[in-house]
Amino acid sequence: MPSAGKRKHKKPRKSELDSALGQVSDESVAAAMKEFQDLLAQAKVDTTELIRQNAEELERRLILLKKGKIDKEDFDFFVENQKRALRVFIDSQPAQAQERAEKLTLHVLEIAATKVAPLLLAMI
Amino acid sequence: MNPNTAKNLIVRNAFLCAAAIVITSCGTATINKSGSDAQIESLRSFELAFIDEFAVPGKRFNVAAFNAKVNEGNAKFQQAIANEKFTARRPVLIDLKAQFDADATHLRSKASRGKITPALASEMKKDVNKIYDHALGR
Repeated sequence: MPSAGKRKHKKPRKSELDSALGQVSDESVAAAMKEFQDLLAQAKVDTTELIRQNAEELERRLILLKKGKIDKEDFDFFVENQKRALRVFIDSQPAQAQERAEKLTLHVLEIAATKVAPLLLAMI
Repeated sequence: MNPNTAKNLIVRNAFLCAAAIVITSCGTATINKSGSDAQIESLRSFELAFIDEFAVPGKRFNVAAFNAKVNEGNAKFQQAIANEKFTARRPVLIDLKAQFDADATHLRSKASRGKITPALASEMKKDVNKIYDHALGR
């Protein structure tokens, strides 16, 4: 019978997106990717459903982009849709929560559209 | 009539009138809200059907049919906004119209160049369902 005490602690499995972004070697780009990955990871476990949902949608669409199932125009269109849906939510948050919500949603979307997506396309 | 009895009658009638007004206005609000929900569901069905019709990989782009459907959608949204009795819903309908406009613009651009993919259609429908669910407070 396996003993719980003997179980090895497994590292969380890298997502498909993390594996792709992990291949970046350029230091300045790698720093931006690290910031993006950290923010996305925080957003994915946030207590607010809308923030989690936004992060999951964004990750799914970045993977679709990398696989060539959607193109950059489609990706940008979806980012704009996500922003439109989020603005109402952020405006409805108390002032002290707005900055954090904005960082985990609109800011992540911005980095994804301007830095991550072009990098993923260059890797294809 | 005893002045006290008369006073009690006036108070009782005033209370009954106030209660009747409150009950009637609540009923009207419920009817307006459910009618408004049905309107939003009807717009959702229209927009999903629009995507199903035109976001089809490999399908020849029919400009006339596309324009006719966009015009039909514009008329439906404008009518819904104008007829909305539940005033808090008007900005929501305006947001839904903005989504329809964005979908139509993107679909026109992609379909006219034969660049529709199954993933595009599927993701567009997910966004439509999401924004309509938010509009309905779900």
